[in-house]
Amino acid sequence: MTEVKTKNANTEEAQASTGPQWGRIIVWGGLLVLLTIVALGLKRTQEGPVGPGQDAPAFVLTTFDGQEIDSADLEGKVIVLNFWASWCKPCEQEAADLETAWQYYQERGDVVFLGVDYVDTEPEAMVYLNKFDISYPNGPDLGTRISQAYRIRGVPETYIIDQDGVLTHTQIGPFTSLSQITAVIDPLLEL
Amino acid sequence: MIANLGFGALVLTFIVSLYGIGAAFYGVRQNKPAWVDSARNGMLLTFPLLTLSALSIIVLLVTDHYEVAYVASVTSRSMPMYLKVTALWGGQAGSLIFWSWLMAVFASAVTLRKWERDREFLPWVIVVSLITLAFFLALNIFIENPFNRLWQFPSGQVIEKMFQPAGSTLFYPRDGQGLNPLLRHPGMIIHPPMLYLGFVSFVIPYAFAIAALVTGRTDDRWIRLTRRWTLWAWMFLSLGLVLGGRWAYDVLGWGGYWGWDPVEIAAFMPWLTGTAFLHSVIIQEKRGMLKQWNMVLIILTYSLVIFGTFLTRSGVLSSVHAFAQSAIGPLFFAFIGLTFVASLSLLLHRWNDLKAKAEMTSMLSREALFLFNNLLFIGILVVSFWGVIFPLISELFIGQKVTVGPPFYERANGPLMAGLLLLMAVAPLSAWGHSTIKTLGRAVWKPAVVAVAVVVAVIASGITNPYALIGIFLTALVIAVTLYEYWRGAMARGRRHGENFFVALWELIKRNRRRYGGYIIHLSMAMLAIGIIGIEMFQSETQDTLSQGETLTLGEYAMTYDSLAVFDAPDGRNVARAVVSVSKDGKPVGELYPRRDFFYDSQQPMTIPAVRSTLEDDFYVLLVDWEEISTSSATFKVYHNPLVKWMWLGSWLFIFGTLVAAWPEKERDLAPVRTRAAASVKA
Repeated sequence: MTEVKTKNANTEEAQASTGPQWGRIIVWGGLLVLLTIVALGLKRTQEGPVGPGQDAPAFVLTTFDGQEIDSADLEGKVIVLNFWASWCKPCEQEAADLETAWQYYQERGDVVFLGVDYVDTEPEAMVYLNKFDISYPNGPDLGTRISQAYRIRGVPETYIIDQDGVLTHTQIGPFTSLSQITAVIDPLLEL
Repeated sequence: MIANLGFGALVLTFIVSLYGIGAAFYGVRQNKPAWVDSARNGMLLTFPLLTLSALSIIVLLVTDHYEVAYVASVTSRSMPMYLKVTALWGGQAGSLIFWSWLMAVFASAVTLRKWERDREFLPWVIVVSLITLAFFLALNIFIENPFNRLWQFPSGQVIEKMFQPAGSTLFYPRDGQGLNPLLRHPGMIIHPPMLYLGFVSFVIPYAFAIAALVTGRTDDRWIRLTRRWTLWAWMFLSLGLVLGGRWAYDVLGWGGYWGWDPVEIAAFMPWLTGTAFLHSVIIQEKRGMLKQWNMVLIILTYSLVIFGTFLTRSGVLSSVHAFAQSAIGPLFFAFIGLTFVASLSLLLHRWNDLKAKAEMTSMLSREALFLFNNLLFIGILVVSFWGVIFPLISELFIGQKVTVGPPFYERANGPLMAGLLLLMAVAPLSAWGHSTIKTLGRAVWKPAVVAVAVVVAVIASGITNPYALIGIFLTALVIAVTLYEYWRGAMARGRRHGENFFVALWELIKRNRRRYGGYIIHLSMAMLAIGIIGIEMFQSETQDTLSQGETLTLGEYAMTYDSLAVFDAPDGRNVARAVVSVSKDGKPVGELYPRRDFFYDSQQPMTIPAVRSTLEDDFYVLLVDWEEISTSSATFKVYHNPLVKWMWLGSWLFIFGTLVAAWPEKERDLAPVRTRAAASVKA
């Protein structure tokens, strides 16, 4: 029973007498590792949202009708990833244009539009989707995982990812016209 | 004008703080007490100066000075006066000022105490407090200035600056953006100040600990001096946590009170080490043991306070509580690095001086059980810390932020918390120095019989969930043991002094307030545990769309949708308010009015639940959706939360318990002057 204490005392004495003081080295090392992790986390935060030229973060979107869409399966296709919410007024500005753009590219088969519904409730989201006749896959951002990965600042934001999974364009705020959308996608399809 | 005044006061406080740090250093180095006194006066001056600065912001807030960027971002014309005042802590910049102001209150209070016997601590307490204060002031002055005004250029561009840039004119927005509706709740008005109070008041014991380390006066004097501070700090922090939970329960509409969100954990972590500290200092006082450990705990507590504030405010972790992304991260990080490294160096420097005088003689002695209690608290801390830091680590190694959810924390911390309950039940019965299974068993068997009887009764009522039964047993044991302790103590005293039971009980508590106040806190924790067991293990919920007159049922409850009205309230809200009537076991128990408020100024909706709360259970209704115009049908989400009211009642009891334990006594408890073996000033 007294063992616990004697053992402690021994190690302390050992620390005081012998050369390398492992206890101290471990403590300092631990502190250093912790500070490094936090520093790197801070650096990433300071970088702001994911920018063009970077690899787009991977994601899995579960749509409102239960289908799972994994970004890894979409390689070779252009992805238009739109973050929106039913409570978001500026999102309504671009909703019809996005749907029209989708209708335009849909037949080609090499462009995918995905809607990520950010912090929302399902009934309102469904009303929104019906209101604008949106037909491309949409799903809630469960646990805000996707928006965290893209470090979005708000809605709407749209991320355009090329065939190799590289982010080529970020649209902060709504698209203001159909031509603005096609102007970003067409070059990727070499049109 | 007012903005300039406030900013001037802020800058002056910063300069005074820097002067105080320098003067205290110089005074102690050159052995010139006059300089230390001057530093002390400087520390006293920070309070009126910061009060002036904070008052300036409040004046700007209540007089609709929307040309000040902070005012425009947190208030609007339609907000009532009390919300405009409390908007002082509604945003990053203002809440940092508020933080500093509270810090100045505590720093001044500590300056005013009698220092004759502890002269050697004074300069170092000043240095630590003022460095902390100066850092927070620097955040305000250089990065998050609440007095920044809006300036417009001829091009139409508007920028935020303290002083007028060339070629621009002051810009007056017509109205402000208003306070986030989620924050417009009484709980939210008291929750942040309580939490900040808890945070800043832990700076004081830390400052004394560092002073003890620097001066080498490592006996338990610093602990005796700060014992009461620590209790108050602990109470404020606990209250901050509970009020946050209450706010979440009333406002957030997910039927819960605690979501293991990073920011909740950030406030919970210093609470864990603080609670461990409160227990382990008793061992140092009684047995001269755990001196190193106590230093570790108080340094950890302070570090976690700073670290938690950093995590919340730098945008490193995303959370419902996070402030908008801010540039204070790097400066904050530098400060964290500085304090961690400095504290650790000092601690390791004195490590060998802090060795124990006594040895642990029995694994069942009071001090051993206290040590186990500390280990469990640290266990919960490690689990929680890992959960918070894990997204950062995963982001580094696999490139994705993987967040761990409540199940992780619940599974890992549940057994540890059960262990704490067990110790809370057993430890008060064990003796200092030596206890055996036999002595402990003799003390515990009567309360244990009571606890078993409670469990049997619960099983008889049809509850069979084994985890719940374990929890109920432990909680019942804590309550039984604690009441038994009061009874035993009062009876013994009554026999000795010939007093009747109640007089004896009163005298007993009066003469050992720390111990019996502590037991009241134990009882309150048991009540908290009852509430937690109730809601965590027996919560049920349902959601349904009802036509007018239709009824849904949940357990013994039935709820009928009667009507719904949509109207504009005078304070800028559009309100949709449903009327539902509730019955239990077929007997009507009243009407409830769940509603949804839509705030025009900030364009944000807010769901306000309606709750029927009794000691037995809460019936909690949320209005989710409704048929526009006709209001012929509406969707409700309904929760049945058993026993949750015990949590809120428990928190009243722990305020009372802390007051009993911490209320100032006459100088008596400061009396035992220790020999000052290591009191020479080495710095």
